[in-house]
Amino acid sequence: MRDLCATAVDTAVGAGAEYADARAVVRRSQQVSTKNGRVEQLIDVESEGIGVRVLVAGAWGFACDRRLSADGAREAALRACAFAKAAGGRSKRALAPVEAQHGTYRTELDRDPFSVSLADKVALCLRADEALDGADIIVRQAAVRALREHKLLVSSEGTDVEQETIECGGGIDCAASGDGLFQLRSYPSATVGATEQGGWEFVEQLGLEREAPRVAEQASALLRADPCPAKVTTAVLDSDQAALQVHESVGHPTELDRVYGTEASYAGTSFLKPDDLGSLRYGSEHMNITADSTTPGGLGTFAYDDEGVPAGRQPIVEAGLLTGFLTSRETAARIGAGEGGSMRADGWNRMPLVRMTNLHLDPGEGSFDDLLADVDDGIYMETNKSWSIDDKRLNFQFGTQIAWEIKGGKLGRMLRDATYTGITPEFWGKLDAVAGRDAWRMAGITNCGKGQPGQGAHVSHGAAPARFRDVQVGVKA
Amino acid sequence: MTRALEVARTALAAADGDAEVVVQAEASGLARFASSEVHQPTLIDNLVVTLRLVRDGRVGVASINRVDADGLAELARRAAEAAASAPVDPDFPGFAEPTEAPSVDGYDAATAELGPDAQARFAAEAIDAADVPVYGFFTSALSEVAIASSTGLEAEQQMTDATTLVVAADNGCSGYAEATSWRAGAIDPAAVAREASEKAARTNGAKEIEPNSYAAVLEPYAFADLLQYFSYDSLGALGLLEERGYFAGRLGQRVFDERITILDDSLDPRGLPKAFDFEGSPKQRVELVTDGVARGVVWDRTTAKRAGNGTATTGHALPPGFSDFGPLPSALAVAPGDAKSTAELVERVGDGLYITRLHYLGVVQPREGVITGMTRDGTFRIRDGKIAEPLVNLRFTVSFPELLSDVHGLTREPALICASNFYGERYPFGTLVPALGTKRFNITGVGSAPGI
Repeated sequence: MRDLCATAVDTAVGAGAEYADARAVVRRSQQVSTKNGRVEQLIDVESEGIGVRVLVAGAWGFACDRRLSADGAREAALRACAFAKAAGGRSKRALAPVEAQHGTYRTELDRDPFSVSLADKVALCLRADEALDGADIIVRQAAVRALREHKLLVSSEGTDVEQETIECGGGIDCAASGDGLFQLRSYPSATVGATEQGGWEFVEQLGLEREAPRVAEQASALLRADPCPAKVTTAVLDSDQAALQVHESVGHPTELDRVYGTEASYAGTSFLKPDDLGSLRYGSEHMNITADSTTPGGLGTFAYDDEGVPAGRQPIVEAGLLTGFLTSRETAARIGAGEGGSMRADGWNRMPLVRMTNLHLDPGEGSFDDLLADVDDGIYMETNKSWSIDDKRLNFQFGTQIAWEIKGGKLGRMLRDATYTGITPEFWGKLDAVAGRDAWRMAGITNCGKGQPGQGAHVSHGAAPARFRDVQVGVKA
Repeated sequence: MTRALEVARTALAAADGDAEVVVQAEASGLARFASSEVHQPTLIDNLVVTLRLVRDGRVGVASINRVDADGLAELARRAAEAAASAPVDPDFPGFAEPTEAPSVDGYDAATAELGPDAQARFAAEAIDAADVPVYGFFTSALSEVAIASSTGLEAEQQMTDATTLVVAADNGCSGYAEATSWRAGAIDPAAVAREASEKAARTNGAKEIEPNSYAAVLEPYAFADLLQYFSYDSLGALGLLEERGYFAGRLGQRVFDERITILDDSLDPRGLPKAFDFEGSPKQRVELVTDGVARGVVWDRTTAKRAGNGTATTGHALPPGFSDFGPLPSALAVAPGDAKSTAELVERVGDGLYITRLHYLGVVQPREGVITGMTRDGTFRIRDGKIAEPLVNLRFTVSFPELLSDVHGLTREPALICASNFYGERYPFGTLVPALGTKRFNITGVGSAPGI
């Protein structure tokens, strides 16, 4: 594969490219899911090919070929150059300088998830599925997954890196129905479960079968729970919902390509401007956000991004102040800060885009109970159910699967259909506590969409339960 | 014979036993632009083979894009391993028997031949026609789907599609337009850009309004998006069987205004026609809502068997890798109304909102069809039967059934709205809808001004 990448780069340079990179990728995944005691999905998928990105006279071009052959590499390079020449450049493009990189990376793990038989994966799902059985439960689901991606990146600047990442995960969901109501409950995260980079030991420690009865009981209880009232109150988010809040209202708006408008036609732009760096108050003093592509287990962990920029740790928000953006080499050069490091592509047949890596809400102090203790009247919300946010990432509305009233510092009655809404910097300004390291959990998101043609990304967010004052909850249709 | 069917036959021959092969091939180009400059031009060429294998009632699936002998042998080995790992599936309906698929349009040789020069030229036409900076793309593709199974079924289709999408935006203003067809010649990128640009120019100075319930006119872009999201839970068989959809327990009942009729019609040449689904079953025209009465949902072979009582597939199976979603509509269409234009709908509404497009929808309560999202790229106040001042982006949280329960009407001419964001393997599909005037559109918050 290394020779093919080199062939592609040489071909592109020979065709007039001032810069070229080639990624050869082999990706394999397995997905097993069961529903109501029946195998719903049992699939093994492999996809391979080479993607070539070129810069010709100031214009980008990208083409790919599924054949991992010299012909495929050459043809992809020539087609990428042809598209770049046809598109033409209207402005000068500079890339932040990065030293040529050489190295390898492989996910550290104890047990390769592909060494676990499909039969064992099916058996685990069926046991967890059965353990979800209970009163009012009409749909029981369990799923496990594994993914391995082997890729090489070679550039015309001399970068030559090889990486193999392995991830796996799983989860359970159930639905209860009665009296015209339909309620969902999931563990450990909504609908897609939890996923981390690492070995099968991650799936085993989830305890899907063990947690299933509690999940089913809560789904059933939600049918009899009161709806979440509409009011302005204190909201405490569990780490799963706090992670989604980070993803949608901090991660996407700090992607510098969005700030510059290059995602305007699909995912949207950002309320942030380049000049906001170092001056915009994003939230309260309790808000500290770090991008870290070195976090063990993170779905955005690697040694090099898809431009060959080395992984690293970078503050994005410090004590409520915006101090960093997620960048590519091109956007970093444009803003005059950093060298990139957040460029990622969805497989071999998509062009790299600025994506989140692992973006964390840094832990504060104390326990979850300490967060509740300071709440006379409020609502605790757990596990994301619905999400929506505007194209500038300002106005959001999220819903959770389950909530509880907080009265006198303690959890009270269960509430269903909980939602909350806010405006990003105002909402983060109301953050008055984040629980400590012991309550900090990492959530893997495997369905983050961006780009045209569309690309999915796998990213992680660490967060501990967080408390926000004066939040509008309980939006009614 | 298409290349896809040729590969499907070879893959089927490499498999042992009861088997079904689905091949999807794509040759596409997408010239994406921002700030009036192409910045992400992408050419994709791929061919994916998916094998579903059955051994003693056990079903396993594998997929690969290596189509040489070694690749197809590996595919067969992995599918066999998957099947051997599964318990017997009592709901497996067997593979479809050979049937004649309907003859449909949807292929245009001129569109199939478009290459990077033409794709870049169409993008440039859109860029050059706008008065404000534009963001969007021109894309065209040739896609093939072929199915071969051990029952003797063989089906193949070549499809073309082309889309121009433009957001015209500058400080404090933005507008939107798009056009989709299976014939690129039917699309005028410059006209699309002008529509977006003219809309943008009218959004300067946007004002806020109080959250409340308003009457509203939804352009086809907005109406199509809401209908698509409603369909995920409520217009497919799985949502019905699992009681999560709005139609669960309501089939045969009046659910919408009597002027609302909704179909799924892949055979309509005005859409992006399909002859068969991913099980090889012929596409059928399905009445989902007739004169406001819930009539049915779409089915595949598995859900039809589960439902029993003579239920049959309607030709709406998804690719094997997406079968856990159950069958879903792929060519939603809303019957047009009697309004000559959106201007007439605006006149009928009198006082309310004019909404061009929506953004980032989320289903809040599937059982009640409650959906939230934001308006974007052209939101206006309607006063005295005319479009008045521009508004900031608005958050809405609506019950889709309530929105359709009392309407001012629909326009006579539907528009085809692209429903694909081109994730994964290319499979073009769209929604054919008119503009809608509704008496209830629930605004629950205000957002930022339009613009970049």
